[in-house]
Parts: sequence; structure tokens; C-alpha cells
Amino acid sequence: MEQALTRNFCIIAHIDHGKSTLADRLIELTGTMRHEDIGEQVMDSMELERERGITIKAKAVRLHYKANNGQTYRLNLVDTPGHVDFSYEVSRTLVACEGAVLVIDATQGIQAQTLANTYLAMENNLVLIPVINKIDLPGSEPERVLEEIVSVLGYKASDVLLMSAKTGQGVPPLLEEIIRRIPPPTGEATRPLRALIFDSRYDAYKGVIAYLRVADGRIAKGDRLRLMSNNTEMEVLEVGYFAPQPCPATELTAGDVGYIATGLKSVVECRVGDTVTTLQGGVTEPLIGYHPPKPMVFAGIYTTQAEDYKYLREAIDKLNLNDASLTYEPESSPILGYGFRCGFLGLLHLDIVRERLEREFSLSLVVTAPGVTFTITKTNGQKITINNPAAFPEPMEIEKIEEPWVKISIITPSSFIGALMELLSESEGVYKYQEYLGQHQSVGELGQRVRLEYEMPLRCMLTTFYDQMKSRSRGYASLDYEFTGYREGKLVKLDVLVNDMPVDAFSRIIPPDKAHDVGKAMVAKLKEVIPRQLFSVPLQAAVGSRIVARQDISARRKDVLAKCYGGDITRKRKLLEKQKEGKKKMKNIGRVEVPKEAFLEVLKLG
Amino acid sequence: MLPVKDIGDLLSEISTLYIIDEAAEITMEANPGTIDEAYLTAVRKLGVNRLSLGVQSLNDRELALLGRIHTAAEARDAVCFARGSGFDNLSLDFIYGLPGQTLTDWEHSVDDALEIAPEHLSLYALTLEEDTPMWTAITEGFLPGIDPDIAADMYELAEDRLAAHGYSHYEISNWALPGRECRHNLTYWRNLPYIGAGVAAHSCMDGHRFANTKDLDKYLGYFSGKKSSLLELDEEINPELELAESVILGLRLGEGINADDIKSRFGIDILAHYRRQVEEMAAAGLLEQTDRHLKLTRRGRLLSNEVFWRFLPG
Ligand SMILES: Nc1nc2c(ncn2[C@@H]2O[C@H](COP(=O)(O)OP(=O)(O)OP(=O)(O)O)[C@@H](O)[C@H]2O)c(=O)[nH]1
Ligand SMILES: [Mg+2]
Repeated sequence: MEQALTRNFCIIAHIDHGKSTLADRLIELTGTMRHEDIGEQVMDSMELERERGITIKAKAVRLHYKANNGQTYRLNLVDTPGHVDFSYEVSRTLVACEGAVLVIDATQGIQAQTLANTYLAMENNLVLIPVINKIDLPGSEPERVLEEIVSVLGYKASDVLLMSAKTGQGVPPLLEEIIRRIPPPTGEATRPLRALIFDSRYDAYKGVIAYLRVADGRIAKGDRLRLMSNNTEMEVLEVGYFAPQPCPATELTAGDVGYIATGLKSVVECRVGDTVTTLQGGVTEPLIGYHPPKPMVFAGIYTTQAEDYKYLREAIDKLNLNDASLTYEPESSPILGYGFRCGFLGLLHLDIVRERLEREFSLSLVVTAPGVTFTITKTNGQKITINNPAAFPEPMEIEKIEEPWVKISIITPSSFIGALMELLSESEGVYKYQEYLGQHQSVGELGQRVRLEYEMPLRCMLTTFYDQMKSRSRGYASLDYEFTGYREGKLVKLDVLVNDMPVDAFSRIIPPDKAHDVGKAMVAKLKEVIPRQLFSVPLQAAVGSRIVARQDISARRKDVLAKCYGGDITRKRKLLEKQKEGKKKMKNIGRVEVPKEAFLEVLKLG
Repeated sequence: MLPVKDIGDLLSEISTLYIIDEAAEITMEANPGTIDEAYLTAVRKLGVNRLSLGVQSLNDRELALLGRIHTAAEARDAVCFARGSGFDNLSLDFIYGLPGQTLTDWEHSVDDALEIAPEHLSLYALTLEEDTPMWTAITEGFLPGIDPDIAADMYELAEDRLAAHGYSHYEISNWALPGRECRHNLTYWRNLPYIGAGVAAHSCMDGHRFANTKDLDKYLGYFSGKKSSLLELDEEINPELELAESVILGLRLGEGINADDIKSRFGIDILAHYRRQVEEMAAAGLLEQTDRHLKLTRRGRLLSNEVFWRFLPG
């Protein structure tokens, strides 16, 4: 097909503004699928995606659209995830497109990821088509949102489309606008092959399936190709596109979006952002610089039952075939046994991995409190990176500690500014900038919308920050953040000792002035959840050898003292058998028996 | 209460089947408010020589909390009826550790009990069962919760006070003046055979423990040939389990257990067999060994389950 009749575009938005729903409507309108076959959702096809109502992996679909001018166009649509944890995937997807439909929820207006994704698209020179979605909802304010788009993003009101992706109202004109405004791809089919991988997944039969955008050249079945970042070679087992189910084709040529089956065994070898070229006569320059996303958040993952470790190892290996951004290395803990220290893109990613491991592999897991990577310069000049607090060197061996910082952007109605600023300063945030969005005066009692820009240690975002932000803004504030670099921090390791024994899984890295408060809270929580033992148990929080908080659990004095006559003996023995069974399910910290639930409760503590 | 005539029939029926020892302990249980002096005099004459009264408390507020139908005055009356009708072996049941009950409240109860001077006392700690009205009232905050430490203080107070008045603490929840230990109950704690007759009764013999059905119709149905079995439980007690139960039940006794007695009965030296458990519990201050003798310590009596489950097989 002629390049002039091809359009490549993605749908971008803040989380939940309706990208996947709009994609479903476009699939239906172009007759790619019938309404009754679409069902609830086509785009969010993973079980977890449907349950949580979010897109986790980007998806590409090819549509054929007969336009008003009588020509049939080939539209390659890519639906992207909205959550900030996956913004790397979004940024790669943008490179594969010439345009983007920017969806904005008519009840919410511009939100943090609306801005972040818009700027990303602009940096990639994409043509943007702003649409206001969900106009069918009673609480929608299309006028206010329109004004915001005009004043904040600089579009003309006439550029903006109003629609409901749910009912389909106002959606048909979008297809004409896509053809009119988004330019066709450029690129030469006769030049050497250059194609960008913007997503990949693992298939048990065909190996890794890479989604790619061909910039120049062509790919056909049987071609021998090379990945430019790591020189991995592969043979193309199949080429095709999605409609939305995979459709094999004879070839993909310059300007096309589609997939190849590579036969590779793991997505780790074939990662998003990499450029593919031919093994012979290929190019020397990749399309874009390749830097895979670095995991930012780390946590230990263990099985509840130590003997399940081998299943965890198999499960993580398998999950990693499909999720290259998950990193993991074995670690062990005196209390938790053998497990893995895993790296994640963010807290949502962590949560998804945990849930998939538990659900798809039927494992019962203990996940330690999430943390970041610290760079430590020791007094002997040695530089080390640490992502497990337990591995922190002794205070006197530390010369300098550096930790990751993020730039965060919060959009909120102005009446919550005070509460949010308070939260930000409690969270070690540093004020940078504040701006009002739009000039619309009739914005109701909550006030005009404001964007706050702060910098803060990533560490501070990993506890209750997000929940706090939501609750202190009654759910109105939205958040975006990006990594800005490492900065020196004054930090100490807080240890928690149960019966004089340090519990590695409870250690925290915190500023020294918070040691007392955090220590006190942890000790109080432990006292609440650890049952009384046969002996008294001191609970202490310490920085080095300095105790910053202490409480004791006094020894248990009395059990149930039931009478025991002839008719009670069997029943009583059954109760004792139950008590004995219960002991087996306890986690032991030295001589102290702690129920697993109690242990998890303390791990969760921010 | 069972009519006097029925009790008479029961006793004479038993005496036609068995030879009843002259000094046999024949106990009857009764609740205050259900008996009078005439009745007690009559049953005493029939040979019943020990009376156990479910007094529970001598405080009307506490009795109401326990949902008892009798008052403290009726309880005192019942004691008078018993003495008046010639019962010289009287046992009273009390409950402690009630929601809101203070140590002083309990001290008064113990003193009141001592003033009555029964030959035998059973003191039970209240066990809160789930889904009972009291449990609901506590979980919904209408009643204060039960503080196990206060209950422990109450237990120790009773221990001290009763010892000072000459009562021996011969089982975890039972006290008696010398020679007035309940012989019937001692059989259970020594893990010796016993026969229970009647609906819901339990028996233990020949390596089995069994229980009759609690359903009276079923029970009667068995005798009219309509039901093939009246048992609701028939449990085989293998030697390993019997040994464990003997240790667990024996440790309930004030005197504890003697390793030689157990050895002559089971052929097993428990001090070697349970060495790890004994050492662990002794180190925790719950068990005490003197020569070949094991017994719970004062602290061990309050935490007896912690000791007991460790002796279970498997
Ligand atoms: N009433 C109404 N609801 C809509 C409309 N569009 C989407 N929704 C609903 O909004 C919710 C989010 O829609 P999605 O399409 O999953 O949003 P998304 O942007 O793909 O979300 P992420 O992929 O998680 O970022 C769903 O419950 C949709 O049914 C609309 O036009 N009107
Ligand atoms: Mg989506």
C-alpha cells in the first residue's frame, strides 16, 4: 500500500481518561471488529488489566478506514498505558508514530500525566489532536476543559473535538481529522532496514514477538536480522500486524507498524527502544539512543513457606520473559530465608508483579518495604551501590550517601494547596514553582486549578505519599514525577531489634531527625501485633548503638484455664492440637514467635 | 430437679448390679434456687453424701452478668439447706475474671466463700466463647474486655488465701480441705477408666473413649431397639496417645506426676522420652522436676496449655 494512505498514531492521556475505550470505538467504527465481538474491552485483554481497569502493556492495532474522499486508509493505532510507571513505554511508542490523539476527561480536565505526555509528544514532533472525552457524564465541564486546553496547551478551540468514547457520540469525525491532520510516514523501502521496537512480549510457540515500526527498508519472513544494542541475531519466523488478533502478512515496509516473531527466548534480549537492522548490509546508526529504563524501586520478595523458594525462582524467571523491566537477584535474610531483591519501575509495577506471581503461580509471598538504590562512598574511598537497607555499612565507615531525587508535578484545585504543601514539606519536598492553569473563573468552590512543582527524594514517595496526596485533596490532585539525578543526603539506618535481635527486613534508611518518630511508630506497631510470649520481649529501634525508641511486651501470664473433666478430655486435646499446629505457622525471630500476618503488617508500615 | 423417687430408683438399681462400697463418694450437683431443705434431706437419706452447688458468685450484679437465674441470697439459702439436711461434704463453684470485675470484688467473693467454709471449692476462670451474648457485648463495646493479667492476679490471690485457710490446691481449678478431694474427678486426672451412664455421658475404658448421644430421643430409641447405637463419639486411644494424655492430665494435679508410676504403667521413662520438652518448660519456669517427679510451677499452672501441647504426640 502507498505510504500516503498510511497513518500511524497513538492515544495518550492521563490514567483513566478513556484511551482504551476510545481505541475500542475506533476498532468498531472501522468495522475491524463487530460491536458484539468487542464485548467489555478489546484493548485491555489481560485478566489483570480488565480487573484493575488499567492498561499495563501498549497494544497496536491496524484499522482500514474508508474516508469521505473515497480512499481507503491504513491506520496503525497504538493504545498506551497511562500510569507514570510505564511512561518509558509511552515515550518509545511516540517514536513509532507521526501523531497522537490526546484524550482529556471532561470531568477532570488537564491532569499531571496529560501535561507530561503532551510534552513528550511535542518533543517527538508529533501532531496532536486534542479530544475532550466523557461528555456524556453529568458532571462533565467541556467548556472549562476547553478553555484550559486553549490557555495551557495553546490550541485553538476549533482544534479540539468533543466526544464520548463510551457512547460513540462525536467519535466519527475523529477518523477524518486523523487523516487530515496527521502526516503520512516518510522513509524509503529501498534503503537499508531500520525498525524500532516499541513493545515486546513472549509467546511460548513463537518466542519473543516484537512490535515494531519500520522506518526504512522492509522485513519479510526468513530475513536474518540483528538487534543493534547487543548484536543479538535472529531469523524472522513470521511478520504481520494486529487486527487486533495477529494477522500474518508477506512483509512490512517503510512506514508500517506490525510485529515479527523472533524465536528469541526472552524479552530481555529484545527490548523496547532497540533498533533492528539486517544482519548483512544493515545500518550503523540506531534510530534513537537506546537506554532501557532503570528500575527505581526495590523490594525483597520471599515465599511465606521457605520450601517454596524454588517455585518462586521459576515463577520470576517466567514472568521476566514477558517483563524486561523487572530485575532480580537472589538474596537471603536470616528471618525470611531465600528470596530475591527485585527492581521495579515504580510502586504500581511492584504491585502488579506481586499480584501476578501470587495469582498466576499460586504463591504466598512476603514483600519487604519498597526502597531505592543508594550510592555510598566509604571512608576508604570505595564506592558501593546498595538497594537493601540490611546491607548498609556501619555509620563510621560512611563518608557520603547519595540518593535518587525526582521532580514532581501536582495538579490540584487551589483550595488544597495549603494541605498539599504541608504534605510536601513533611516529605522533604523542595518547592520549585507554582502556576495557575487557565483563566476560567467559574470553577466552583474548589478554586482554580494549580500546578505545583517540587523536588524530593524518591525515598519519600515510597511510603504513604500518594495515598496522603489523594486523601488531603479529596481525590482531586494528580501526580507525575520523573527522575532527575542523585543528590547527597544525610541519612542513617534505623534498625529494629526484637528481643535484642536485629530484624533485617524491618531496617529503614531515614534522615536522622526522623529516627525517633519512625522508631517509635515501628516499635508501637510491633507491640500491637506481636502476641505476648512466655518471657518479656524488649522492642527497640536503634541507630547504630543508640537506642531511639523502646517498649517492652510483658510476659504472658495466663492462658485459657478451662475445666477438664471426663467429658472434656477429647475436646480439650483437640484444642491443644490446634494450638500446636498454630505454632508451626509462626515466623520466628530468634525465640520470639510472630504470626505471619503481624510480620506483614509491620513491613507495610511507612 | 430429678424427683427424689427417681434418685432412689437409680441408686437401688445400681446396687442390684454392683456392690457399692460403704464409703463410696456419691455426689449430686444442684443449682441454688432449684432445691429446698426437704428435698436435700430426702436425697441425703438415700445415700447421696456429697453436694456440689453451682453458686458462681455471691454478688447479684455478677450473677446477672452471667445470666444466672438465682440471686446471692438464694445461694446462701442453698448452703443453709445443705448443712441443715446433713451434708458435711459440700463443694461450691465460683467464676472469676468477669468483665469489669476488680481484684477487690474477687477478694470479697473469696472471703465470703471462706466464711461459708465448704469442704471443697472449684474456681473457674471465665472463658469467653465466640458468638455468645457476652462476647457480642464486649466486641460491641457495651462491656469492658477481660484482662488476662487481672484474672491471673485473681487466681494467685485465691491460691494464697485458700492455702492460708488450710485448703490444698490439688488440681488447677480445685481446692479441698484434707481428705475432701473429689474422688470422682481424680479418676479423670489420673487417666483411669470410668463409666458414664445416661444421655450425653462419657466413658473411658479398654483403650477407647466414648460418649453417648446428647439427643434424648435417640438415646431412648436405642433402648426400644429403634436405634442401633447410642454413641456419638468412639475414639480409639492408642498407647502413645494414652501416655500423652496421662502426662497432660496428671500435670493438672497439685502433686504432678511420678515418672516411676508412669513407667510401671506404660514401660516408658518419660524423663528420657520427653527430655527436650521438660528442659524447655523448666527453663521457662513453667515446670519443676524434683528427682523423678514433675509438676507445674505456680506460673506454670496459669500457662498450663503451653506446657500441655508440647507433650502431644506427632
Ligand atoms: N461515561 C463515560 N465513561 C467513559 C468514557 N470513556 C471511558 N470511560 C470509562 O472510564 C474508565 C477508564 O477508561 P479506560 O478506557 O480504561 O481509560 P484508559 O485511559 O485506557 O486508562 P489507563 O489505560 O489505565 O490509563 C472506564 O471505566 C471507562 O468505561 C466516556 O466517554 N464516558
Ligand atoms: Mg487503557
